[in-house]
Amino acid sequence: MIRFVLRRVLAAIPIGLIVTLGVFALVFAMPGDPLRELAGDKPIPAAVLAAKRAQYHLDDPFIVQYLLSMKDILTGHFGTTFAGADIGDQLRLRIPVTLKLATLSMVFQWVLGLIFGIYAGFKRNGWVDRSLLLATLVLLAIPGLVAYFAAQYLFAVELKWFPVSGVLEGYPRSYLLPALVIGVLGFAGLGRLMRTSIVETVNADFVKTARAKGLGEQRVLWRHILPNALLPVVTFIGLDLAGLFGGAIITESIFNLPGLGQFMFQAVKLKEGGVVVLLCTLAFISFILINLLVDVLYGVLDPRVRNV
Amino acid sequence: MALGLALVLASCGDGKSSSGGGSGAKSETIAMVADPLEYINPLNDNGSPGIGIAMAIFAPLVQTDPETGKLQNVMADSVTPDKTSQTWTIKLKAGNTFQNGQPLTAKDYVDSWNMTAEGSNGWKNNGFFSKVEGYDALNPPAPAGATPKPTAVKTLSGLKQIDDLTFSVKLKVPFSQFGLTLQYLGLAPLPEEVRKNPDAYKRKPIGNGPFKMAGAWNAGDDIKLTKWDGYKGPQLPQADNITYKFIPNGDTAYNEFLAGNLDFVDVPPTKVKSFKTDAPDQSVTSISSGANYLVIPAWDPRFKNPKLRHAFSEAIDRKAFADLVGLSEPAKGLVAPDMAGYRDNACKYCDFDASKAKADLAAAGGFSGVLNINYNTSSATGQIFAEAIGNMLRQNLGLQVKYTGKQSSEIGALADSRKLDGLRFSGWGHDYPSIEDYLTPMFKSNGDANFAHYSNPALDAVLAKGDAQPDPEQAIKLYQQAEDIALEDMPLIPLYTKSNAYLHSAKIQPRVSKYVGVSALWATFK
Repeated sequence: MIRFVLRRVLAAIPIGLIVTLGVFALVFAMPGDPLRELAGDKPIPAAVLAAKRAQYHLDDPFIVQYLLSMKDILTGHFGTTFAGADIGDQLRLRIPVTLKLATLSMVFQWVLGLIFGIYAGFKRNGWVDRSLLLATLVLLAIPGLVAYFAAQYLFAVELKWFPVSGVLEGYPRSYLLPALVIGVLGFAGLGRLMRTSIVETVNADFVKTARAKGLGEQRVLWRHILPNALLPVVTFIGLDLAGLFGGAIITESIFNLPGLGQFMFQAVKLKEGGVVVLLCTLAFISFILINLLVDVLYGVLDPRVRNV
Repeated sequence: MALGLALVLASCGDGKSSSGGGSGAKSETIAMVADPLEYINPLNDNGSPGIGIAMAIFAPLVQTDPETGKLQNVMADSVTPDKTSQTWTIKLKAGNTFQNGQPLTAKDYVDSWNMTAEGSNGWKNNGFFSKVEGYDALNPPAPAGATPKPTAVKTLSGLKQIDDLTFSVKLKVPFSQFGLTLQYLGLAPLPEEVRKNPDAYKRKPIGNGPFKMAGAWNAGDDIKLTKWDGYKGPQLPQADNITYKFIPNGDTAYNEFLAGNLDFVDVPPTKVKSFKTDAPDQSVTSISSGANYLVIPAWDPRFKNPKLRHAFSEAIDRKAFADLVGLSEPAKGLVAPDMAGYRDNACKYCDFDASKAKADLAAAGGFSGVLNINYNTSSATGQIFAEAIGNMLRQNLGLQVKYTGKQSSEIGALADSRKLDGLRFSGWGHDYPSIEDYLTPMFKSNGDANFAHYSNPALDAVLAKGDAQPDPEQAIKLYQQAEDIALEDMPLIPLYTKSNAYLHSAKIQPRVSKYVGVSALWATFK
């Protein structure tokens, strides 16, 4: 198992380099001039512009800028953003915010998705199954942007059950509403996948064999159906967690949560290659770790893949 | 769109509040629709949130009286030009101090300004000092990619301390409006301990204004201010405590207001049609905030004939367009309507007249090729406005029109290198209340905001005469001549002047001034 983990981590390094280089190239190729964007509409004196361009190495060739960024990341000397923020401070401030939001919304999504999927899968074509299929169809069709603002208006502005935005009321209260919306929107896909997977497993030959051997219903469910039905779902959860970062950009903006998503948005807006690459590296590392975890979990659920 | 500082100040600047402590202290919470600030140093900040907060913590030399529109002294005791308006003597009032107790002296101004004028410091208000004698020695041209080196010269030769409370500024050329520019908060003085190490004080500014920091301020925090008793300027704000809350998403800030958590917020563009019903009797609007234009690329030979520009202008139904924008009035000149010297019908070619437009276009020899209209993709309304203008030009002049969306910095960069194809939108708000601050930046050859790259020596000459004319009335007459020349050449087509709208809680009434816009900092408490 240790060799497996090590192999995966080593294999991730060249991929990480390619990914960061690609992202940096994309940011580099974006139109617009970050310092102008930062200055808004006021003209900036040439001397100030020159000082800033030199400070952030904006006149250096692409590859030099990339290597300087990588050096900053590897040495932990992150420097400041174009707007003057200390990047290390920002990470310390923002990583916990995003982690709290992500874990809470995942809890909602998994609890809802697994319960619904398993129940609907077993009681196929019952009224719960049918109404939830319809509900998830509707949920899948709602754009996040609309749902976030609608939920904010209804539950925070009108009903005052939750704070409107910000993190002043602490964890978990400040995070409940956005996490619930993400969880409810996200549970649809997970629930449907879980349901389908259960349905397929229930009809599989090995389940029939288990039943024919006279095993009790509980034992068939917990030892035979669930471990097998969970396999595709575990993969889905891994991918879903990785995609959370992109979604955070919108959620954090609407609920004014000072997390990594908002940081990423500012950095992309200002063409701040170094920050974008730093955040992508963080996302990449968490992606690798989550997938590693998924694969290990896979091995636990299905002994056959342990030695692959 | 370029909107200048005043606009920005009016839109974000002020607030006071009233509830708060148990002893009947007046507190208010003001929304800043912006990313949280990283530092407070007005000399190194020209954005609206930073300057807005500087308005509370720092005091200017002079300010515009919100009632009369006249200049009044704040830290200055007198501001006196010489006969040619080239050398200005500024005398400070005695007895003012910084919030650390140090007396405020002429040396603080001279040293702070010299620091900002030195290009290698990279401070954002460096450009303000380009009019002062000796600026070039502190800002030698640096090769591309090189960090500008600190210069051996550390002081502006035009800046002289005369005694403890008096200093003088000698400009490169006469400038009759210089006194008006001194109200800019970007010229605030920094006390000696801050000047020695500005970074150490970036989150604990020491000002000379009506408010000071109420406590520690860390990255990402709201900014909490409390009244400072040492401020002796005119028009004391009523608030005892102010909290500036940073909410980058305008719609979220609006929702926070509706939930009762804010005392003052800007109405975001998405709510212009609904704010009056969302918050009945809790809104105010500013009378005007600069002016908005369509920019003609002066470097493109297809647009060379002024008759063609008149035709474009006459083909635009400004009333319909202003209605589309919302809270707007059709523009009838090149300056904002609240400026001294504004004339109601300065523009002869700004009335909608499709048949005259057609005739003028024919007289100009028509327009060849497809007309491109550039719009800013980061503005929600950019494309809608572009298509509205494009449709009017298409229908009324029979032009073929296309639209190109770009980031605003890219449009600016292309225009600067004279490679931008076609029309673009732009706007301007004054930094100081003078019609000169519309004409010089936008129409003088190489002006800071001369987006059209327009140049007319006759206009430059009239502007220079106005700058050298010490009598304000006479100066305005000369500036109006310059406006007439610009309107005849029409490098910019005036479109609309927009009002800004704000919501306020029941406990405060923001100050609304025809001259300085809406201010929550100077609100009245009920």
